[in-house]
Amino acid sequence: MTRGRGPAGAVLLCVAVAACQKPVKPGDPVPGLTKDQRSSFDRGQVVFDSTFTPGSGLGPLFNADACGECHEDPVRGGVGDEVELHAAAFHPPLCDPLAAEGGFVFQLKSTPALKVALGIDSEPVPPNAARALRTTPVLFGRGLLDLVPDSVILSYADPDDRNSDGISGRPNHFVDGRPGRFGRKAFVPRLDEFNDGAFSAEQGITSPAVLTEETIGGKPIPAGVDPVPEPEIGQEALDQTNDFVRLLGAPTPLKASKDAKRGRKIFADIGCVGCHIPTLRTGDSPIAALRHKEVAGYTDLLLHDMGPELADMCLGEATPAEFRTEPLIGVRLKPNFLHDGRDTTLQEAIQSHGGEGAGARDRFLGLAPAERVALIAFLKTL
Amino acid sequence: MKALAITAVLLSSLLAQAPQPVPYTYQGTVQAVQPKTASFDLVIGVGYALRVVHMRTSPVTQFASGGAQLSLTDLKPGDIVRAECRMTATGLVADRVEKVEPSDSKREPIQ
Repeated sequence: MTRGRGPAGAVLLCVAVAACQKPVKPGDPVPGLTKDQRSSFDRGQVVFDSTFTPGSGLGPLFNADACGECHEDPVRGGVGDEVELHAAAFHPPLCDPLAAEGGFVFQLKSTPALKVALGIDSEPVPPNAARALRTTPVLFGRGLLDLVPDSVILSYADPDDRNSDGISGRPNHFVDGRPGRFGRKAFVPRLDEFNDGAFSAEQGITSPAVLTEETIGGKPIPAGVDPVPEPEIGQEALDQTNDFVRLLGAPTPLKASKDAKRGRKIFADIGCVGCHIPTLRTGDSPIAALRHKEVAGYTDLLLHDMGPELADMCLGEATPAEFRTEPLIGVRLKPNFLHDGRDTTLQEAIQSHGGEGAGARDRFLGLAPAERVALIAFLKTL
Repeated sequence: MKALAITAVLLSSLLAQAPQPVPYTYQGTVQAVQPKTASFDLVIGVGYALRVVHMRTSPVTQFASGGAQLSLTDLKPGDIVRAECRMTATGLVADRVEKVEPSDSKREPIQ
């Protein structure tokens, strides 16, 4: 009789080797959901894919008519080719997000009724505002990043660079004073708030979380332009959308080639990990599949000065040059890089790093060509 | 005397049924202070959806920071405050305004 080859042996092997877990593909939910949670994920995806029209509340100003219009490549929750416009006015040390003038998201589309009433195709931007272009962020694994305790993020902060490594991350804060983590400027504290706000800012849809329509450049919406009563979607639709986004898994990194394994070490050796912290651990959650999990986020969720070349607008406490360390979850799936999509290759994106990223960038540029190839090969596994 | 008593009962009953001003609590960043009109503007929001609420104060509005008493003119743009207020026929009126340090707090819907 052969020992350990029967079904019991196979189960034991699988328990011992985590590799038995099915890899998470882009768009998959986090592994280990209950039947009910999986059902919530599926229901949320339906709302995420729903297309709004002026008759169901869209606009009158908007950037997209569905969540899935922008978060679509290669699957729902991914990126899109849309680029939107943000703007703010920096009066050091204060940042005016231009909320009284319809900011800081200035929508690029208007409904036919608004066009007839005001003759505008998009929201007017105040003339002296600093403008910034923003690509669609990947949503994979954001539910896990949402659960990393503030204390963990703050433990990486070093605002005065006391360890003299040239990196001085600090948290941003939302308008009500809570530490932020979502968005390119780490402005938004929680994932559900990011989603709830997006219904309003991106689609012009009011909800129980945001009961009022945005103004049109600070002026009220003309009468009759948006007759759908508030809220235009209910709490159930909000909750379902939040369930879908929260439960979107972080795609499993691809199997690393020999080159990629070497690149992972180089990534650490040249100091990329000073900001792109490889793993974070989630805290408590009623959802076991999200609770106390390691997430290969490659981020510290803090703000870093990235130098004058990348500087665009302020937001909260973030100066124009400060950006949150972009999580590298699913970076292999992105067609362009950095907050405004200016770069189309990972090598270009590294070369665009300035400010606190300049040291790692220079060390990257000082690598032998084969070492650079190895580092890029590693990034393409994420 | 009996008529007076009935009127009093009816009046108190009516008062009890009259709609009370809805209380709100907003926490946000002071955008502007207007001492001449005894009012201020607060930026509040949910995610990327930001709004500005205009709030009047009254002679009995309490201003505080920790244990210290403040006045409207002690507020400045950029301060984070928690404002307890109520909606009246002429807009929001603050009953209590407290300066807070950046920290965790509860989210309120935008009205």
